[in-house]
Amino acid sequence: MDMTAIFGDYTAIAPMLILIVGALILPGIQLLSKNRTATWAVALVLVIASIAVNAMLIAEEFTGKAFDLYTYDAYTGLMVLIFQVVLFLGVLVSNASIETTRLHVGAYYALLLGATTGMMFVAGSMDLVSIFIGVELTSISSYALVSLKRKDSRAAEAAVKYVIIGGMSTALTIYGISMLYGLTGTTVINDIAAQTQLTGMNWMFAIALVSMIAGYGFKIAAVPFHMWAPDVYEGASTPVSMFLATGSKKMGLGVFFQIFLIMFVSGTACSAIAGPEVQYLFAIIAAFTMTVGNVVAIAQNNIKRMLAYSSIAQAGYILIVMAVMSEYALAGGLFHMFTHVFMKGGAFLIVGALICAGIGEKISDYRGLAKRAPFLAFAMMLFLFSLAGIPPLAGFTSKFFLFSSAIGSLDGVTSQWVWLAFIAILNSAISLYYYARVVKAMYVEKGTSTEKVSIPAPFMVAIVICVVAVIVLGVYPQIVFDLCEAAAAAMFA
Amino acid sequence: MFIEYTWLVPLVPMICFLLIGLIGRKTPEKGGYFAIAGALISFVIAALISYEYLTGDTYPNPVVESIQWFVIPGSTDFVINLGYYVDGLTCLMMLFASFISTLIFIYSIGYMGDQGERKNRYYAEVSLFLTGMLGLVVSSNFLEMFIFWEVMGLCSYLLIGFWSFRHPEGDAASANAASAAKKAFLVTRLGDVCLMAGLFILLGEFHSLDYSTLFDPANIAAVDSDMLTLAMFLIFGGVIGKSAQFPLHDWLPDAMAGPTTVSSLIHAATMVKAGVYLVARGYPLFIQNAEVMLFVGVIGGVTAFIAATMALNNMNIKKVLAYSTISQLGYMILALGAGGYLVALGMGMEGAEGAALITAGSAGMVAGCFHMMNHAFFKALLFMCSGSVIHAVGTEDMREMGGLGKHMKITSLTMLIGSLSIAGFPFFSGFWSKDLVLEIAMEAGHDGTVWFTVMWILAIITAFMTAFYMFRMWFMTFMGEEGHATQHCHGESPKTMTFPLIVLAVLAFGSGFLILFGLDAMVSFTVTPDAFIVGGGEAGGFHHFEHIFTSPYTYLTIVLALVGIGIAYLMYAKKTMNPGAFNKDGESWLYKALTKRWWFPDLYNQISWKLGYGVARGVNFIDRQIVDGTVNGLSGAVVGGGDALSKVQSGHVQDYSSIVLLGISVISVLFIVIAKVMGGI
Repeated sequence: MDMTAIFGDYTAIAPMLILIVGALILPGIQLLSKNRTATWAVALVLVIASIAVNAMLIAEEFTGKAFDLYTYDAYTGLMVLIFQVVLFLGVLVSNASIETTRLHVGAYYALLLGATTGMMFVAGSMDLVSIFIGVELTSISSYALVSLKRKDSRAAEAAVKYVIIGGMSTALTIYGISMLYGLTGTTVINDIAAQTQLTGMNWMFAIALVSMIAGYGFKIAAVPFHMWAPDVYEGASTPVSMFLATGSKKMGLGVFFQIFLIMFVSGTACSAIAGPEVQYLFAIIAAFTMTVGNVVAIAQNNIKRMLAYSSIAQAGYILIVMAVMSEYALAGGLFHMFTHVFMKGGAFLIVGALICAGIGEKISDYRGLAKRAPFLAFAMMLFLFSLAGIPPLAGFTSKFFLFSSAIGSLDGVTSQWVWLAFIAILNSAISLYYYARVVKAMYVEKGTSTEKVSIPAPFMVAIVICVVAVIVLGVYPQIVFDLCEAAAAAMFA
Repeated sequence: MFIEYTWLVPLVPMICFLLIGLIGRKTPEKGGYFAIAGALISFVIAALISYEYLTGDTYPNPVVESIQWFVIPGSTDFVINLGYYVDGLTCLMMLFASFISTLIFIYSIGYMGDQGERKNRYYAEVSLFLTGMLGLVVSSNFLEMFIFWEVMGLCSYLLIGFWSFRHPEGDAASANAASAAKKAFLVTRLGDVCLMAGLFILLGEFHSLDYSTLFDPANIAAVDSDMLTLAMFLIFGGVIGKSAQFPLHDWLPDAMAGPTTVSSLIHAATMVKAGVYLVARGYPLFIQNAEVMLFVGVIGGVTAFIAATMALNNMNIKKVLAYSTISQLGYMILALGAGGYLVALGMGMEGAEGAALITAGSAGMVAGCFHMMNHAFFKALLFMCSGSVIHAVGTEDMREMGGLGKHMKITSLTMLIGSLSIAGFPFFSGFWSKDLVLEIAMEAGHDGTVWFTVMWILAIITAFMTAFYMFRMWFMTFMGEEGHATQHCHGESPKTMTFPLIVLAVLAFGSGFLILFGLDAMVSFTVTPDAFIVGGGEAGGFHHFEHIFTSPYTYLTIVLALVGIGIAYLMYAKKTMNPGAFNKDGESWLYKALTKRWWFPDLYNQISWKLGYGVARGVNFIDRQIVDGTVNGLSGAVVGGGDALSKVQSGHVQDYSSIVLLGISVISVLFIVIAKVMGGI
């Protein structure tokens, strides 16, 4: 099917348009039907339609622009697909979860769709202002989503923190952007890169760089801007935690790729604008982020907090891309982002499903789970081992790509980032300690109850999807890795 | 015609694993017969493959077949394959692994008979374990090998923890099993980290992990030799973890908490042998640098010695065997290291002198692999005998046994054969291979470096200690007065248990004679200008006989072994010599040091628990208590309390914000420092 024949000039933003329409009509549908399942069904259908359109675009290798502001290429296609999968999993389980709101159903789905639209907008933007708008759309929707779990003090607390810290991040970002605009007179990233090559490194550029790294560092919860993440993931309802941990974080990483990779790599004279220095800066941030994430996760007793710290660590792994700054590294990073959706998403979904079944969030609540829910315990074990990077699961394959990019470039030259890869591998070993703790609780320790656990069907479907993905992507990574390769090539073109 | 089906060797146990998991509960023995059938079929296929390969035209060149798994495009395409690699070493490994596993699974029918529903899980896991080992030995590249390596690690974690649900000896033992399982997993993981890093370096250097590419001398010559050395050191780190070498040896004795059959599987046929296999498999890369081989050899020798000392005064029958495994693994690693050292030296020399060294050194590979096979037979036998004893008396403490020989004739006789074999009694299998190991260490000391002479002395002392502690164990168990537990002994074990014992006893005595029939040729190592070839060497045959019995050192080891057995007899059977006289009744410093395992567990605890967990706690404290201090206890108190909420919130977020500002300052300073150092600004 030729998508341009249907959507015309709007083809590039077609997947986004469907979600925007959805976000606008869903509150109305809820108001008219007064049936939350109907609203859920409409939202789900729209998400699937959006995925279908995007899949078509990827399949026909579409590239195009809309309004000179939004570019759709292989990279955008892959990022949009990641966000859509996260949204799909989130929406799928939202109606069945007992944690989500019962009062503002229309608004809830509208916010979810709106936040995803923001992420998708970021993925196709090559301009600092449009990136900023996309990020804000996502952030503001997320603040509301976190607070929608009302009557829960933790959620209220988390939402307030999230808003205040998010506000700081916005302020820093806009400050950085204004500095860059003052320096170069443009907000188009390519033009900025071209301009700064002429002017070379100066203090204004350095200030802009640091404030933007800090501002967007919040979005990916890089150390030392990570503190909000565990509180927010713990406080929010589990489908929303999953959405934030796997979706919104990927948007932040995407922003890093789009702004800094283009500025320092596509800009050929990168040495003129402090390219190597920034690489080192990112390497140090990556090393600290993964280490702090993993080390603190060891001491957590709440499983959502543990997963939050582990996703901080995962972001640290992906930041290796920013240190290595090669096409292969980017492909590996994108692939890790893709697999991370399923393994981290799957783990959060199980936590959410068990909350519905009346099992708490403490690791001690998981004792004897293997007897009570053999499939869930097994799936959880797969997700955790995949996160730890045990073959032949998806997490191993993607870490393999990512870490190997730091050790040797494909030209056979051993790179200067071997030490970073060592820290990353060492961290994977540390992470196994706290993942194994959960597995031990589920399989080895005795629980207080032996009652069988039953969970809502939508959760089951979502978890099965994640299990299949974690195994298939581990055994046969080529299907998705080709997409990542194409995306990385498009970015570096 | 059979070699094309090599992929079936690991696949059959895999299918059995699935069958047992899916329908095993409904079958007799909860799937035990599937496990036996799977291992047996694998063995038959392995035997057919080996026969075809060893008699085929291509021998001794390896048969490699692979399909493309995934590709990473780049300036040179980077292909990862999935396939099999058959040479003499592969044949040897898959034959003994599948054969011994078959016997262990048959034995399990008797041993696990009273375990009810949990047998299902047990048989599923051991089948997966066997898949891991067989997959590891037939893999055609390092990545594929690593995947099976990890599968095995995971299974060992599950299997050692098997008895943690309901240990026959109560709750303390259950907790013990669980923590042992975790220790095994984490310690071997530490090795795996090194291994993985080493593989990454190989990948970066060679653009491939296929054995056929990596073992090509032309490719090896093309890469950076320093990086290759680093990679091999790291890969040996993986071996240290997996094969329980010094200083990561401590997990293996603790792993005894699992069922005895699992110990037998791990110690004899699978898991720990994987590390030795990896050294033998990676020989073409290891021998590129003599220092690496020296390191390998010294680690092996020290491990053999240290582990043997700890076995001297242990009272637990399974732990004695565990230490003896570590010690024997040390022998294998020592042989590979010493031989490889000579080959590495020889490759650096020109002409006949170099060629002579290479020939001498390749005996190290034969000695290591030969000892690995013999050890597989006698260690499987010893563990299964100890299982039979434990099954009958219900304790692992040797002080409560004694006089069991009258009650358990078959077990005591078969165990005697196993003990004679490991002690190196003439004509038993352990005698032949141990002698080869000692000889190669001696030669490496003579032609290479004095370090190997030191290792040879340690190995000789180890041989004496081995004879002593094995017979101390045998006499304490089967001879002397009847102990407390012996009185409750319910006789000889069932036939499903004694049958494997008898089969293994025959092999534990006789497998050494295989060297007279050309086994050494199958795993010989030949260096030619354009290939490294395993197998196809010249069979020594009766030349070995002549060689062994004309060497004075052989008689030294025989005398030491006999003295060891004699002292054990006087102390523990005849009781005319009081062991207490040597250790001040357990009060001497040395005795305590041995009981405390030279303080290694304490050291680990200090490092891992105090340091690792302490740091984690500390960081968490800062993250949570200082920064996040007020969050505790909030959940209940704050609902409806707007004032309290805002107060808490503001205090809280201020802290967060200060950290953020601090972070930005740090990043700015960092950026300036980096820029200054690199001269950017």
